[in-house]
Amino acid sequence: MNYAELQVTTHFSFLRGASAPEELFEEAARLGISALGIVDHGSLAGIVQAHVAAKAHGVRLVVGARVDVAEGAVLLLYPTDRAAYARLCRLLSVGKARGGKGQCVLGWADMATHAEGMLAVLVPDEADDACRHNLEQIAAFFPGRAYLALTLRRRPGDALRLHRISTSAVEAGVPTIVTNDVLFHASERRILQDVVTCIREGCTIDEAGFRRERHADRYLKPPMEMRRLFARYPEALARTQEILERCRFSLDELCYQYPEESPNPQQRLEELTWEGAAARFPDGVPADVTAMLRHELGLIGRMGYAAYFLTVHSIVRYARSQGILCQGRGSAANSAVCYVLGITAIDPVRSNLLFERFISEERREPPDIDVDFEHERRETVLQWVFDHYGRDRAALCAVVTRYRARGALRDAGKALGLTEDVVAALNSQVSHWSRTAVDEAQAAELGFNAGDRRLRLALELARQLIGTPRHLSQHPGGFVLTRDRLDELVPIEPAAMENRQVIEWDKDDINALGFMKVDCLALGMLSCLKRSLDMLAESKGLRLGLADIPTEDQATYEMIRHADTIGVFQIESRAQMSMLPRLKPKTFYDLVIEVAIVRPGPIQGDMVHPYLRRREGKEKVEYPSPALEKVLKKTLGVPLFQEQAMQVAMVAGGFSANEADALRRAMATFKNTGTIGNFRDKLVGGMIANGYAQEFAERTFAQLEGFGSYGFPESHAASFALLAYASSWLKCHHPEIFCAALLNSQPMGFYAPAQIVRDARDHGVEVRPVCLNASRWDCTLEKAGERFAVRLGLRMVKGLANAHAAALLAARGETPFSSPENAWRRAGMPVEALLHLAEADAFGPSLGLQRRQALWALRGLNDVPLPLFAQAQTNEPGMPLPPLSAGGEVLADYASAGLSLRAHPVSFLRGKLCREGIASCGDVHRAKDGAFLEVAGLILVRQRPGSAEGVLFVTLEDETGIANLVVWPDVFEAHRRTIITSRLLAARGRVQREGEVVHLVVRTLRDLSVALDAVGEMDAPELRVHSRDFR
Amino acid sequence: MSRVISVFLPDWPIERLAPGDAGPDQKLVLAGHDGRRRIVTAVNAAVRRAGVQPGMAMAQAQILAPGLAVRPADPAGDEEGLAKLALWALRYTPLAAPDQPDGLVLDVTGAAHLWGGEEALVADLCTRLARRGITARAALADNRGAAHALARFAANPTWLTRPGNSGPVLLSLPVAALRLPQKIMDGLHKLGLRRIGDLADAPRAPLTRRFGPELQLRLDQAFGRVAEPVAAVAPPNVPEAARDFPEPLTAPEALANHTGQLVEALCATLATQAAGARRLDLFFHRVDHAVLALRLGLAAPRQDAPRLARLLRERLEEIDPGFGIERLVLRASWTEPFTLHQTAALEQHAAPDLAPLIDTLASRVGAHNLYRMAPVESDVPERSLRRIPPLAPLAGKAWPSWPRPARLLSPPEPIATMALLPDHPPISFIWRGVRRRVARADGPERIFGEWWKRDAELFAVRDYFQVEDETGARFWIFRAGDGENTATGSQAWFLHGFFA
Repeated sequence: MNYAELQVTTHFSFLRGASAPEELFEEAARLGISALGIVDHGSLAGIVQAHVAAKAHGVRLVVGARVDVAEGAVLLLYPTDRAAYARLCRLLSVGKARGGKGQCVLGWADMATHAEGMLAVLVPDEADDACRHNLEQIAAFFPGRAYLALTLRRRPGDALRLHRISTSAVEAGVPTIVTNDVLFHASERRILQDVVTCIREGCTIDEAGFRRERHADRYLKPPMEMRRLFARYPEALARTQEILERCRFSLDELCYQYPEESPNPQQRLEELTWEGAAARFPDGVPADVTAMLRHELGLIGRMGYAAYFLTVHSIVRYARSQGILCQGRGSAANSAVCYVLGITAIDPVRSNLLFERFISEERREPPDIDVDFEHERRETVLQWVFDHYGRDRAALCAVVTRYRARGALRDAGKALGLTEDVVAALNSQVSHWSRTAVDEAQAAELGFNAGDRRLRLALELARQLIGTPRHLSQHPGGFVLTRDRLDELVPIEPAAMENRQVIEWDKDDINALGFMKVDCLALGMLSCLKRSLDMLAESKGLRLGLADIPTEDQATYEMIRHADTIGVFQIESRAQMSMLPRLKPKTFYDLVIEVAIVRPGPIQGDMVHPYLRRREGKEKVEYPSPALEKVLKKTLGVPLFQEQAMQVAMVAGGFSANEADALRRAMATFKNTGTIGNFRDKLVGGMIANGYAQEFAERTFAQLEGFGSYGFPESHAASFALLAYASSWLKCHHPEIFCAALLNSQPMGFYAPAQIVRDARDHGVEVRPVCLNASRWDCTLEKAGERFAVRLGLRMVKGLANAHAAALLAARGETPFSSPENAWRRAGMPVEALLHLAEADAFGPSLGLQRRQALWALRGLNDVPLPLFAQAQTNEPGMPLPPLSAGGEVLADYASAGLSLRAHPVSFLRGKLCREGIASCGDVHRAKDGAFLEVAGLILVRQRPGSAEGVLFVTLEDETGIANLVVWPDVFEAHRRTIITSRLLAARGRVQREGEVVHLVVRTLRDLSVALDAVGEMDAPELRVHSRDFR
Repeated sequence: MSRVISVFLPDWPIERLAPGDAGPDQKLVLAGHDGRRRIVTAVNAAVRRAGVQPGMAMAQAQILAPGLAVRPADPAGDEEGLAKLALWALRYTPLAAPDQPDGLVLDVTGAAHLWGGEEALVADLCTRLARRGITARAALADNRGAAHALARFAANPTWLTRPGNSGPVLLSLPVAALRLPQKIMDGLHKLGLRRIGDLADAPRAPLTRRFGPELQLRLDQAFGRVAEPVAAVAPPNVPEAARDFPEPLTAPEALANHTGQLVEALCATLATQAAGARRLDLFFHRVDHAVLALRLGLAAPRQDAPRLARLLRERLEEIDPGFGIERLVLRASWTEPFTLHQTAALEQHAAPDLAPLIDTLASRVGAHNLYRMAPVESDVPERSLRRIPPLAPLAGKAWPSWPRPARLLSPPEPIATMALLPDHPPISFIWRGVRRRVARADGPERIFGEWWKRDAELFAVRDYFQVEDETGARFWIFRAGDGENTATGSQAWFLHGFFA
């Protein structure tokens, strides 16, 4: 008995279906169902996953979609061939363009124009006039290809209803087929389906009422049961096979074509390559580079990737023509070809990266190049791509937004009627990105009654909900480009942002079908570098591109080794900074490792310490086998990059390239239940079979698990390392330029302007205050003798709008303002805006007006002209204003600009702190290991990384520097309030010194914020009474 | 010289909800929105101890005080409550008013002697509020502005200034005591003008130019240079009769007795105005300051005391006197001119108004015995109906489109059957010892348990059949379970109802 279930809705009909395609096909295979027809609501979003799952389980997929006709009919459409599939895609695209985001609006008229080659199944409600009318319509639009679905609803009068519908079908000459209108793969999923209905309807389960699905038994049933239930309609059952015969279309037939860049792409690429090589190496292309280029071009030719490289090249060339800084990364980016084409700035010879390791001839998957652009100007590039390749041939990829732990509990909890505060309290135990939900034990710890039924259900359902798709959104910059019409390959919908369009498939789907994707991403550091390089050219006449920055500069590495990296790309975080003195980077490749090693993957897989020990020569470098030596030699036997992890699986575990890739994906997807166990058995088993020790095999798997979600591929690490190097070089040799560019690119990175400015001043850069008559909007460079000083820009002034600043600058021209009133009259800006300037003390440097005097003068001006007042103003009685104390000035600086060039607020308290025996942050760095002391400072950062087992890192700052605190969870719990509410914090604990890295492991904490408030009343920084020596 | 008390209720929004003695360890905050940010708007003592302050982001509060109970802020309710509290404060002086959003103001000029002096009055006021669980600070001064400032910024929770002595003490208070908008306060602060003393003697024109007239107005009010009368709350001007009880009433007989006396007093008032009551409101002021009310609607204007008293007495059982009633107020909140006239036989026949009938029936048999049925959106038959008040609307819910039995058995009764599993109805069944052959049947209608209600319903299924026996009687029977899987039920059969 053969039966094909032709009406299956997956969870890609968002918040309707409750099972993944994978689950449905697995269950179908188990039950002996020969084929599934996937019909999501107005969408093909789940069809690629269904295609992959169908192949994996040996059940046929019938591609289809459900369309709700606006006049009131529900149709299931199945294309019979490639041409009909193209029409279906176009039909859905039309509906989506009309319906807007997430909607698909179609009418009978659209059916008429797209019907050819498509089978249509009418899903009737009752055997009424509407049904008869729809039967006539469908028979007319789909002659010989129309069917009617017979479905049991398990409601009263079911048998009679089927009989009447069937009779109507006979009268209309439309044959019937049996479907079961499946919403989930197995009956127990019904509960989750009720929950997603509640989420969709925005109600609780108690309020849901008949908004729940009322027709029962919406799961896959075995063919025998279907035959029993539809014993009176054997012909309708048999006809499911007829549809199977007629719908022969498979996604395998989608043949992807690169956009045409040139009639002979390989030849064109070779021309460009040699031209580029000649330009890169004006003194003649070195022999090893020539050899490498020849080799790569050969490989590209054999794989047929030339057109792809040309596309990336033309996008990069466009960006360059607009002066937009960009940099490629990804598997194919670290090739010599990309270097000479200007796609990347990493000299492959120098960086010791082999192109071949990123492009596998065996896997035949398309090359992957991501291009990062300056974040403020990327939209220009995106629009050029749309225009250049045509809006019907270019679109952005989708991103399937899936439930993570927090969202799942929030929505499941809401559906079950848990109150907001309960959900928030539970979610406080889960990090933002976590994929594992709160469990009952954690809930009990929070003081909830773990036996409470609703709570238990909510936790369980939230677990089930994790990984369920919520909606489609647009990929930040992943383009799909085709030679032929894109809307004949996949439905396209307009994106939420204007002038963009998005396809229904995400990057994994694209990969599975072998489509080309170019990622055009935005990177703030590129904007900063661009500004730096422009300033460098303007002020010092040094014209450099990314690729021209002197390589292997030892002064730069020296600086990096001392963790002097505030503001630098990637290696500025606290974790990175504490690693630098231990890793001691000397060459570019060390930076590549540095970038990759401080990631949750290597940290959780416990690879950091073995690597460091081996690097310092404290541990012998050994390899479990010669085969693994080849893979791991570069990283001293410890897998640090994602590719290495995959290669270990292949070389040691006997995985094929495809299996290794499937493993990576299984680890990266959200629901790592079930399938991951199979991989584990296979890998460990394979490794033991290949003669590795069980313990080693288990450890390897644990390492891979860490990688799956958070590992860094070597190629990405290399591209990031280049930006880290470039920004370090600028910071090392042109700190004033780097400081100004960084301030102008805010917000970005880990540090606030106050720390950036302080760091620059520590490096001898003169920083000048915001000035009414000298500042521009951006921070600028001012000649100061032989050197340059940074002049803070008006952008630093809190509350000042860019437009008002522009008006001010335009009015200023070459003539400085002579008074607040003069500025107000000439700039024609509201007094309110000038007040912001006065609060930032911008009238001080050039007019010598104190903050309060300027405020007083400005407040006397009135935007609405009052002639009488204007006259009275000249002879108004004086007002004695109390002068601002020195401490008050500093606090006012912080309040109005986020930083002060005068003094550090804590410096005013130094005497008091000394009397209490509290050390400075500088003292902590000079203290010897194990010393016990108390330090106080402003809290800069509180950070609790997911990989650190609940340890809280706090960074304190005073006038002598910063101190790094480590707060263990028990201490945190005991001082919760102090840590969270303090601004000025005192911490007592033990100094822990590892080389240059110094931490204070905290025992107790005190809140000194009250003392900080008193700073506003203080006149001069107190001198240190005495100094304590902790050595 | 006037004398004004300002009362500051710092925790009014939260204390209004949670009486002070409801568990000192219960952590309770009210949450509202500041733009898109969710913030704490009020906290109770337990939460304040944990370091949570009003204005803090909700997320931060939850980290500081785990296990926090959160209720939505209700500014409109706070305002309303404060207005009611002002009505209560009328006991001290006819000139009392709410001082939104967080206080009361009482003009006690010449009123204090009734309470044994100003000090005693303020003490009585604060004690009564404290007994009610409301934290109060109070200040007595020569004018409203000074009293307002001192209630909020004086060192002591109660602060009494001697007549004519209000001014000097103000000079050391911060400008925040002047009831100024935040914007003006920020502006003053940035100029270093922090205390009222910094402003008191400053030239007026430059300050007014910079901060508008409001600043000078507030200064003048604080120093009593301009008058600021208290706009006292007054109950609406309606006929009413009230009675206070030094010994709170709890016994139903006493309540009934006093109610009757109030009705007579009110009817006498009505008679003098030639008016009849269309509606009577009877307020019960409990010693815990709760006010309960009964409303009696009347089909025609009446001033017939015995009948009105009887109608009210019939409903007294609805009132829970708690620890006692200290004041009864009977108010005719809707009156119409009352004229005796003959019934007009020729009046047009209007649609029958069921309300008077239901009034009478409800008074006789009790409102809870009077109901009609409404559909509930549930497939489980026992839950598909509910009782609603006779005149309540159906609220848009529709009756199901398929036939349902006219009568349901509760609980369903077991039957013995002969049936083919899993899809078919029984061939025959025995109910209460009588065997019936099934002649016709429809089904199964599959109904799932409502999993969110009980664990027993997680997987429960019932398959319902409509069956007709040979005599034409129709029954609704079901099998507990889907006929295949024992997890879905016992597979036993039951009779659940009869079709008409």
